[in-house]
Amino acid sequence: MKTIHKIVVGVIVMTIVGITAVACSSTKKGYTDVPDTATAAAEEEFKIEKSGAQMWGETCNRCHIAPSPADYNDTDWETISLHMRVRANLTEKESNKILEFLKSAN
Amino acid sequence: MKKLLVLLIAVVFGGQMYGQTYNTFEPSKTQFMIRGYGHTGFEYMDSGDETESTFLGLAYAPIFLYKHSDRLMFEAELEFVLEGNQLETGLEYADVMYVLNKNITARAGKFLLPFGTFMERLHPAWINRLPNAPLGYGHDGIAPSSGIGVELRGAFDLGGPTLNYSVYATNGPRLNDGSDEPEEAGMLRFENYEDTNLAKAYGGRLGLLPFSDSSTEIGFSAYSTSDTGEQDSEYEDVGAFLFALDFSFVKQISGLGGVIDVKAQYNNSNVDTATYFELEDDILEEYSFDNQSNSFYGQLSYRPTMASSDFVKKLEFVGRYSDFNAPEGAEWEEKSVQYAFGLNYWLSWRSVIKLSYQTTETEGGHDGDGLTNTDGLFVHWAIGF
Ligand code: HEC
Repeated sequence: MKTIHKIVVGVIVMTIVGITAVACSSTKKGYTDVPDTATAAAEEEFKIEKSGAQMWGETCNRCHIAPSPADYNDTDWETISLHMRVRANLTEKESNKILEFLKSAN
Repeated sequence: MKKLLVLLIAVVFGGQMYGQTYNTFEPSKTQFMIRGYGHTGFEYMDSGDETESTFLGLAYAPIFLYKHSDRLMFEAELEFVLEGNQLETGLEYADVMYVLNKNITARAGKFLLPFGTFMERLHPAWINRLPNAPLGYGHDGIAPSSGIGVELRGAFDLGGPTLNYSVYATNGPRLNDGSDEPEEAGMLRFENYEDTNLAKAYGGRLGLLPFSDSSTEIGFSAYSTSDTGEQDSEYEDVGAFLFALDFSFVKQISGLGGVIDVKAQYNNSNVDTATYFELEDDILEEYSFDNQSNSFYGQLSYRPTMASSDFVKKLEFVGRYSDFNAPEGAEWEEKSVQYAFGLNYWLSWRSVIKLSYQTTETEGGHDGDGLTNTDGLFVHWAIGF
């Protein structure tokens, strides 16, 4: 088990270093509605951006039945969005787009 | 434990007062929510020579959420359960999280461990499609459910597919060396508020959602520690390595007129071999065994969400298979297989009435060496708020 343990610890350290490097090398500070980088532009070319409503339907049903926008007010949705972003490991983009939709439709 | 509770209550009520003092009609900077869930039910169990029926005491789990800013948040869950005639309390989790950047969030405190997905994401009564957990979880389970420590987690958008990760260091599990409970010698105990040795447990989970519709997720988790025994005891450097594989598929399929939900998880636990003692006719005997356990569950559920009848729309049909294998040669040697079937009626997205029939075949286990067949009928009611 000692060898396996060393390997696990090694992999974790490498993951942290790797993720930090990738996360910090991206200059974009947060998700913006108007994508400004080349990758975002390329992404745009291939497919039409998914709407927040569609993302809500797909993502919020994965673990429990998705609540409907009317279930909470804007303030609560902000708290819930942050909670779910962390608990469900959602990307910033998913979480922001869904929050926007929930606030616009309640 | 008591101190922790008092501290928590102080934090919770202190925070609440703070929140209320400054809560005007404008959304304040500190946002506070009390959420939570409760469940209760009725069970009828028949294991051949023994039958039992009981109304279950209500379990109530309040959840406190404080969002201090767009990056900083605190979450805590208390648990109140009636066990026999006693009120048992527990601190399910209490942790603070901080979003460092778009890909990394740090958490510290007591948090649910992302070892597979069942304990972290699916166990609350209003989420779980059946009234109980599959074999292999809970008190005598082999999967760790929470830990005290630090964690980094986050997700990457791969332009369609997404990748999510978490890595953590927590107080490790404690090996039951059999000195107090000889019948549990060799079991790992995860509810460990103070570490008994210097070694910590390290682990993580990697999840991949390969399709852009987020319907499918596969995950791999590992959990490892070099020492599980008490410091300076002969069991100190008994190490352990656990891993889990999980799968999830949720999608509305028009051809089937509803939502299909598949969940599965395999857990494997491997503890270094050690020598334990048992009292046989007043003589202390040494024994040892290959300390490997595993468990698996697969669950399929279907909600006819596209049905025309309002009643049928709210129904859900569930089937679950689970098995659990505890090491041969251990005092707690066991092989169990369980089939569970359920019919649910969803009153709202967070409250549900569950009717379930389960049949379990157990070989060995705590209750003896023979083969036991237990049939159970459950009616449960869960509400989240
Ligand atoms: C990976 C699984 C998962 C996904 C995906 C998920 N949730 Fe949750 N959600 C949970 C769990 C687990 C809880 C219960 C938290 C607890 O009790 O500790 C929860 C609780 C909630 C609650 C109750 C209040 C709270 O914050 O605890 C709301 C509201 C909610 N989710 C909304 C959403 C929305 C909206 C989405 C889509 C963005 C979403 N969830 C996606 C797992 C998930």
